[in-house]
Amino acid sequence: MNTNLKISNIIKIYPGCIANDNVSLEFESGKIYALLGENGAGKSTLVKILSGVIIPDQGKIFLNKNILKLNSPLDAKKNDIGMVFQHFNLFETLSVFENLIIDSDETKENLREKIELIMKKYNFLINLDVPVLNLSAGQKQKVEIIRCLIRNPKVLIMDEPTSVLTEQETSELFLSLKKFSEEGILIIYITHKLKEVIRLCDEVAVMRKGKLVSVSEIKNENIESLANKMVGQNLKTIKKKKAKTSTDQLIKITNLNFISEDPFETNLNNINFSVNRGECLGIAGISGNGQSELFQILSGEIISNKNSIEFNKNYIGDLNPQERREYLMAFSPEDRLEQAAIPQMKIFENVALNNFKSSNFFKNGLINENKIKEHAKKIISDFNVNTDNIELKSQFLSGGNLQKLIIGRELITSPDLLICFNPTWGLDVGAINYIHETLIKINEQDKSIILISTDTDELLKLSDKISVIHKGKLSKIMNAEEVTSEKLGVLMGGGEID
Amino acid sequence: MLKKLLQKNLECLWEEEKLIKIVKRDQPSRAIFFLTPVLAIFLTLFAGGLIFYILGFKPFEALKFFFIVPIADMYGFSELLLKATPLCLIAIGLSFCFKSNNWNIGAEGQLTFGAIVSGGVALLFYNQEGFYILPIVIMAGAIGGMLYASIPAILKTYFNTNEILVSLMLVYVSKLILDYLVVGPWSNPEGFNFPETRQFSDSARLPILFEGLRIHAGIFLALAAVVASWFIFYKTYLGFQMKVSGFSLKTAKYAGYKGKKMIILVFLISGACAGLAGVGEITGPIGQLHREVSPDYGFTAIIVAFLGRLHPVGIIFASLIVAITYLGAETAQIFMQIPKYTGQVFQGMILFFLLASDYLLFFKIKFTGLKK
Repeated sequence: MNTNLKISNIIKIYPGCIANDNVSLEFESGKIYALLGENGAGKSTLVKILSGVIIPDQGKIFLNKNILKLNSPLDAKKNDIGMVFQHFNLFETLSVFENLIIDSDETKENLREKIELIMKKYNFLINLDVPVLNLSAGQKQKVEIIRCLIRNPKVLIMDEPTSVLTEQETSELFLSLKKFSEEGILIIYITHKLKEVIRLCDEVAVMRKGKLVSVSEIKNENIESLANKMVGQNLKTIKKKKAKTSTDQLIKITNLNFISEDPFETNLNNINFSVNRGECLGIAGISGNGQSELFQILSGEIISNKNSIEFNKNYIGDLNPQERREYLMAFSPEDRLEQAAIPQMKIFENVALNNFKSSNFFKNGLINENKIKEHAKKIISDFNVNTDNIELKSQFLSGGNLQKLIIGRELITSPDLLICFNPTWGLDVGAINYIHETLIKINEQDKSIILISTDTDELLKLSDKISVIHKGKLSKIMNAEEVTSEKLGVLMGGGEID
Repeated sequence: MLKKLLQKNLECLWEEEKLIKIVKRDQPSRAIFFLTPVLAIFLTLFAGGLIFYILGFKPFEALKFFFIVPIADMYGFSELLLKATPLCLIAIGLSFCFKSNNWNIGAEGQLTFGAIVSGGVALLFYNQEGFYILPIVIMAGAIGGMLYASIPAILKTYFNTNEILVSLMLVYVSKLILDYLVVGPWSNPEGFNFPETRQFSDSARLPILFEGLRIHAGIFLALAAVVASWFIFYKTYLGFQMKVSGFSLKTAKYAGYKGKKMIILVFLISGACAGLAGVGEITGPIGQLHREVSPDYGFTAIIVAFLGRLHPVGIIFASLIVAITYLGAETAQIFMQIPKYTGQVFQGMILFFLLASDYLLFFKIKFTGLKK
């Protein structure tokens, strides 16, 4: 049973950008195809077109030489195209089995038999009768995959499937995918992670700015060549200089506990660490293991016990973020659009969100607009934000520029400590490089960083010391040189290393 | 780049042979932002005329009775200001809430409760005279409105309730309290069981501005509120914090603002304004408490606030325009035997057309020629 999927001359235009510019591709079953590109390159649009979520402005799709009309996700299902999205579409409170039968017309008994057969065949170990919220991310993904497999798909599309998985879970996923491929399912794997492409796929199609840049076989490629195709420029590789060993302790967290009333938050359990001047402490972990709570406690959005945080010989656990800024701390939260900045407000207004006493942004309760604008202009030029109009609403800045603005806003006060949470999440390679360079630079100026991130490569690149957070507990703190991504993977999954 | 895109868009359009195409705007248009209220008013007039025509009236004559006759003389104009005053005052208060994403739709209840509290205080002094009485009565009204508005605010901040439901339902509670008081404990002992209280003493009444007209000093309260709100919105740290809290509570927290306090504060301001409007009614034209202290000013003010685009100056114009519908409804009832509820139909249509034409903020309609 050979499957041939062909897309020809797909065009999709959104106001302000061409998401897919005349894209033509052909896929054959028996191989695993990678669709590679930066965020915003148009991969997701193409995939959504293939799964019927978006209707293209122009172009045709053929499955086994027959033209396909995909007007809704239902059409895709009917034509045996299965899709596993980056974010899970599962009902957390329903059981695994209930989630699986929800969109099927077959009888329950038949389905259970079928599902058990599939699980046996691919060695998936999931209890069908527990609620989905008790599953790990990897298991949830397997549920999604089973949901596709029930329908005997000819094509299986995976959209950035490893972003929430540990190293071990990723390996398992890859094994399964290879098995599916051997059985004749055509697999299209969307990602921006180069290593995975090399490890898993047979052929790779690279997209950049809506256009198809190249289609080639993996054996003719390596990480550097793919990266250059993806970014369209030769990448500078930045390397952190070995930090001077400083013994001057800047911040110390002692016996920090947090118990949340919200069942969807993670409790923190006896956190202890310290960071010296000029040092970068990386905190790794799979998202949802307490990072967000830890960040909020460090920034003062959640108030904790006064003595649990000692900063520069002051106890500051009970201060709010604004008060902590006076002690020269700065914060860059994960969510750029809903927390760190307000897209509907102008750039200079967003700058005023970091209101420290000596800024004089607000005098006697009145807004000092000139002062704020002056400050905003300085940030824009110092931190390479690609605009010269501080009156622009920040929603018109790209993710990278917005992040530069935020980091700039936080750093322009030259704080002693910057706490950042996924600072390069969703950014393109150019912006990532800029942010990384900036972070390295402030370390060199003897300022400290706490970097909470789910991106292991980033952590290994920037940190001097690394710890892993799992279910609200922090692992022991390791020197970055001793750590490998495999070791981190084990700890992130809750395992132990000697 | 953009030009090329547009061209591409147009090319697609040619292929589909569409005459009209709706295209998303890249950025909401500032000019349209202030033009849509005007458009909404014209559409309302047009639709109103159409309704009159269907009912068998001459549309232009009917519209004339509705919108021009009532304000053709000095008395009519003063009545317009009289009705616009509470609308403007409440809408200014509401704009504090709406700007910061708090949906207080219970201004009618806050007005009523303000009237109850200030009326109660005025009744304490019913047989006394003195310059100090009026300020106390006014303060009491503001405090009453604030107290009543603090209920949905506190429930929202500390118990995560929905302020729309709570504030709305409290309207009916306050009206029933008023009903009980004017029929029961507070009813006028010499009032032959009419559901009303004693008349307030002259010292508890807002001064009339012109002999023979009903327009009273309450209008200055409204104008003061307009100026104060403009200043707070655009010039103060408080206004900035309100704006930030309105867009995102998470951001407000991150910036170190006291987000919950902000919500309570805007509700208090809004309640105080509604309470003052209540004071204006009972110590102005009415002079006592009875069942109907407000012809739904608190609800109509929601329309005023949005028609005025939550901008202090816009709200002044909007309150005048909406006030006409109150007067026009009465004139139309007298001269054309149309029920006075037509006024509410017009208010509804204004809001309806305003919301509909807001579509133009985000989309533009492109007309293109026929192919071949």
